[in-house]
Amino acid sequence: MGGFFCHFLALRNSLNPNKNKAFLRSEVSMAANIPAGIDKEQAFGMAETEMEYRVELFNRLAQTCFNKCVDKRYKEAELNMGENSCIDRCVSKYWQVNSMIGQMLSAGGRPPM
Amino acid sequence: MDKNMLAGLEGLPEEDKNRMSAMIDHLQLRDSLRMYNSLVERCFNDCVDNFTRKTLQKQEETCVARCAEKFLKHSMRVGLRFAELNSQAATQD
Repeated sequence: MGGFFCHFLALRNSLNPNKNKAFLRSEVSMAANIPAGIDKEQAFGMAETEMEYRVELFNRLAQTCFNKCVDKRYKEAELNMGENSCIDRCVSKYWQVNSMIGQMLSAGGRPPM
Repeated sequence: MDKNMLAGLEGLPEEDKNRMSAMIDHLQLRDSLRMYNSLVERCFNDCVDNFTRKTLQKQEETCVARCAEKFLKHSMRVGLRFAELNSQAATQD
């Protein structure tokens, strides 16, 4: 099982070596510019929480768009053109929903009773 | 670690750099393990329905191989789009 897992990691990294690095960059620069009034420990904690949130967001996004866009019969190993377009659009819309809700939550404060 | 990642870390002292990069490695490992499990579950659910035999049939094996490859390619594509949207959002702030 260990051997298989290492093979899986190698395959995954070859397909997507910089996934986490690319989208965690903002957290890294956030930690580098610590605003006044917050100590270092808190800054690390916030950066870590933000990173975990981003990873979770990515995973849910990937699962959701796969479920919506990809035919489960797996007739071939490649993504066809239709699936590719669907994925791009799905990611874009998911992102927009994410922003909308982010804005609603930060503006409204608490949910309406 | 690649240079793009370290660019954001320039201002930090050595120990903080190490701490950040350890955090990122830890997250990356955890994420890989989660993906492994969820991929197995997904491909099993989508491809295996028949329990008259205890070994996988040829068609089930093919299905699982395609499922895994397709999901990994999909995940890569989503990663590209995600990074694009992320950097757009960062420049807008």
